[in-house]
Amino acid sequence: MPDRNKEAARPADWEARIGAIAAHQDRTAFAALFEYFAPRIKTYMQRSGVNDVRAEELAQETMLAVWRKAALFDPASANAATWIFAIARNLRIDAYRRERRGQIGETSDVALEFHADEAPQPDASLASAQSDRRVRAALAALSAEQVRVIELSFFEEKAHSEIAKILGIPLGTVKSRMRLAMKRLRTLLEEQS
Amino acid sequence: MSIEHHPDDLMLAGFAAGTLDHGQHVAIATHLAACPKCRDFVRVLEQTGGAMLSRLPPAPMSSTAFEHIQSRLTEPMSPAPIALSPASVSESEIPGLPEFVRRYRFGKWIWVAPSVHMRPILLPHPSDTRVFLLRSGSGTKMLEHSHSGVEMTCVLSGAFRHEGGRFGPGDFDFGDDTVDHQPVVDDGQECICLVAMQGELRLNGLVGRLIQPFLRL
Ligand SMILES: [Zn+2]
Repeated sequence: MPDRNKEAARPADWEARIGAIAAHQDRTAFAALFEYFAPRIKTYMQRSGVNDVRAEELAQETMLAVWRKAALFDPASANAATWIFAIARNLRIDAYRRERRGQIGETSDVALEFHADEAPQPDASLASAQSDRRVRAALAALSAEQVRVIELSFFEEKAHSEIAKILGIPLGTVKSRMRLAMKRLRTLLEEQS
Repeated sequence: MSIEHHPDDLMLAGFAAGTLDHGQHVAIATHLAACPKCRDFVRVLEQTGGAMLSRLPPAPMSSTAFEHIQSRLTEPMSPAPIALSPASVSESEIPGLPEFVRRYRFGKWIWVAPSVHMRPILLPHPSDTRVFLLRSGSGTKMLEHSHSGVEMTCVLSGAFRHEGGRFGPGDFDFGDDTVDHQPVVDDGQECICLVAMQGELRLNGLVGRLIQPFLRL
């Protein structure tokens, strides 16, 4: 993997790199994405309770899907990290279900359940552009603290006691802060529509 | 007609994080198919998922990981689309079901009580939550029951009302063992709901006790 990518890999570039994969199967761009995201996806998988070997496999599968689905990425609707997160989440759900079932005969596509990385539908483009605008505005207006508490409790699945420790707030405050963050988000989205 | 009743914020967060039980996931997805507000809400939450991913400490990948994946990049760019099973229920037959749910296998309509029928949805993956369609004739009292777990209901067509308000297409109702609602279907149109039910179902009333032994919901 060329070393110069290490330095150039700033978050702002991820979207362009996915675009480069879509446009001309740019392997250098892919190498940079892999170097940054694969180890983080692995951590995400480990924390979701799978063993190291499986976590590594799922991180690889996620990155392979990033390569293959690059043309479906729409930078207006999600940033690169969110798009990659959704792919990782869907693979994790799929893996979890398969594990419970053993080898399943039925096929299902978890992405369809979220509509996360579907190709944009032309007739819905206005509605989705407005939705993109609302989502961006709401995100920008949420405080970093509010985003952090949502992140920790739902996406990292931390216990309230751990969140209290990480954020340095009393245990009793965690739940109310979370509720407030959600309520604020609702209000923000309401204001935008 | 606007949607008045939405899933709890925490359920939507669970949906975005992908941590819901499969049956509950289906119930929330059914509401989302009808509700742009909650879709936006989920999209913002997904963005925090992206923020979380960027913040996680990296776990070193094996030394051969990149070589391994490189050897697979020559495989076709767009993978052959997954051969999805055809829809077993059409949009006109049951309006309001998300497409992925319409591809599941459905059981037959089963008579439950006068003017009340249910139709099991056979989830492709095991779930602690049973999912079924519930069809109740206009003016009927819906299945009077209690349950030991959580119950999610999303209205697909028609409407019912109980102490909590009126529930029309897209509306989402949530119940657990602390809630004892007795929904009554509006006059003039039958009501079809998608229900995701956790735990044991206990039918109340004489009819319920009579049919309980024959019902395997
Ligand atoms: Zn809603």
